[in-house]
Amino acid sequence: MKVLVMAWRSILRHARRTTATVSALVVGLTGMVVFQGFLGQMMRDFRDGTILSGIGHLQVAARDQYFVDGEFNPFSYGLKDSEALSTALERQPGVQAVFPSTGFVAVAGLGDQSATLLVKAYPPERMYFAPPAGTVKAPVDRFNLGTLTEGSSVSPGVRNSLVLGETAARVLGARVGDVVTLMAILPGGNLEGRDFTISGIFSSPGRDKSFAYTDYATASDFIRMPSPPVLIAIASDIGAVEGIADSLPRGLSFRTWRDLAQLFVQVSTIMASFLGVIRAIILLVTLFILANSMSRMVLERMKEWGTLRALGTRKRDILFVILSEGCLQGLLGAVLGIAFGFLVSAVIDVAGGLPYHNGAQAYAIMVRPGLDSIWLNLVPSVATAGLAALLPGLRAIRFSPSECLREA
Amino acid sequence: MTNELELIRIRNAAKHYQLEKAEVPALVDVNLAIGQGERVCLMGPSGSGKSTLLNIIGCIDSLTAGSIEIDGRQAHTLSDAQLSEFRNRTMGFVFQTFNLIPVLSVFENVEYPLLLQRTTSAERRERVDELLERVGLKDLRRRSPERLSGGQRQRVAIARALVTRPRLVIADEPTAALDHETGRSIMQLMVELNRSAGSTLIFATHDPAVSRYAGRLITMSDGRIVEDREVA
Repeated sequence: MKVLVMAWRSILRHARRTTATVSALVVGLTGMVVFQGFLGQMMRDFRDGTILSGIGHLQVAARDQYFVDGEFNPFSYGLKDSEALSTALERQPGVQAVFPSTGFVAVAGLGDQSATLLVKAYPPERMYFAPPAGTVKAPVDRFNLGTLTEGSSVSPGVRNSLVLGETAARVLGARVGDVVTLMAILPGGNLEGRDFTISGIFSSPGRDKSFAYTDYATASDFIRMPSPPVLIAIASDIGAVEGIADSLPRGLSFRTWRDLAQLFVQVSTIMASFLGVIRAIILLVTLFILANSMSRMVLERMKEWGTLRALGTRKRDILFVILSEGCLQGLLGAVLGIAFGFLVSAVIDVAGGLPYHNGAQAYAIMVRPGLDSIWLNLVPSVATAGLAALLPGLRAIRFSPSECLREA
Repeated sequence: MTNELELIRIRNAAKHYQLEKAEVPALVDVNLAIGQGERVCLMGPSGSGKSTLLNIIGCIDSLTAGSIEIDGRQAHTLSDAQLSEFRNRTMGFVFQTFNLIPVLSVFENVEYPLLLQRTTSAERRERVDELLERVGLKDLRRRSPERLSGGQRQRVAIARALVTRPRLVIADEPTAALDHETGRSIMQLMVELNRSAGSTLIFATHDPAVSRYAGRLITMSDGRIVEDREVA
């Protein structure tokens, strides 16, 4: 205990050097925490955006094969007792909404023009298109399918209406209010056709070329498939997803958002590695600065080491004093750096976050470092500081007490 | 010279320092015996080997050749940890520049050697207070050594050297950094405490006025003992 007291007082006694050393860590960690908070929030937004772009937290199908080729070819994957299953799922803790979905491929014709469309269908109350301008916060219980450039979404109770991607609309020469004919091939080779009124046109990078959305009731009637091939669950808490999946009856197949959001998982892994590299660079710089400072400190205090040894202090206890000073500086720098990081993040949050535009919609990204930022930065900082003190400490105890006293 | 209650025995001692490629002799063929309770003064010019001999006796340096036995123990047979404990229990050190630990208060500096012995808190307090009383610094027990005069600092160092009740006190130029009057009072204090504790006191000095506090005077030159005599 006395050793820690001595180490702490030594740090305070050499205030100028301590400030210089600790400052390097504080600046690095403040930046790290803010960056981590920014990136973490961006990734959470990205994750939630991906989930609400049509994946959901959990998809339940009759067979695994549906997830391979059934999304737009659902005819052999109808779920039995889908209503009972839907009701059972809704009762699970953490479930916010459960709804059916289907999809099909169709050829759309308007006048002389035609285009192949991938039509997705959800209940109208689960579909959301953002308004064309301004910063938006999409609802958390609906799929955010893009930005409306014209018209409106599919309205509840209105059948045979379609929201069409703007590139596809351009190919067809279609406008809001126009009627397009969709032709789809059903099982057995039957060709089914129906007129759809365009209620809105949306933009969404990568989707507006071939995607169109309609309401689930119209789609299931059109492709003559009364049972949905898939039920989609939206959870109120991402941590509840595994529990919901575990509650499913045997014999069903499911995919969680993590299975389906491959891009997010890949980007998330890359970002985690990127953060790790940045953290390693900060710690390496800290290691260099602290080792330098500790080396000077050890040399300047040779008389003290010699005296302590003469009084009967063992080598390992001298090493412990030096390591404690290093670790305490690391701890001090880490605590201050992390605290400043959280403070700066809070200030950015209060100021409304950082503006971001994904090409279709504008967001404000908040900077919210998670609590894991504390130990992720604290532990390596203290360990690095201890490591930085190790070499000078070993050098100090290599000398005999008389050499220490003579060096002084 | 020998004593029935012999505390230190040095035989054929030699110490060489390596200075770049040259080997510099600091002690040459030193033979010496010092008894329990003696007050020995080492005199000689700078570089004569006084401090080296004190370091060897204090087990903070090792011999190149020869042997040293202190309190019946051969120093070279002890491990570093054993030497540390041996120094802590057997010896007290007083340095020319006081060498107090700047981050510890007066009380804590004196208490430190007892902490290494794991002495109980109550006993530590009692022994430290007693010694601070005797060196006249009890009222300054909470003060930082940096706020003390040179004489006061050396008094703290003396209290620290004696707090473990060592059999041997080693003082290297204890008055060199002090004015004449303060130096005299420090020597008087050391001799008085040494007498009452019955410990052996070995000190080095340049100053003939300080040497008169010794009962035995050893003169060194070029690493050799050139004179060893009892003084009145």
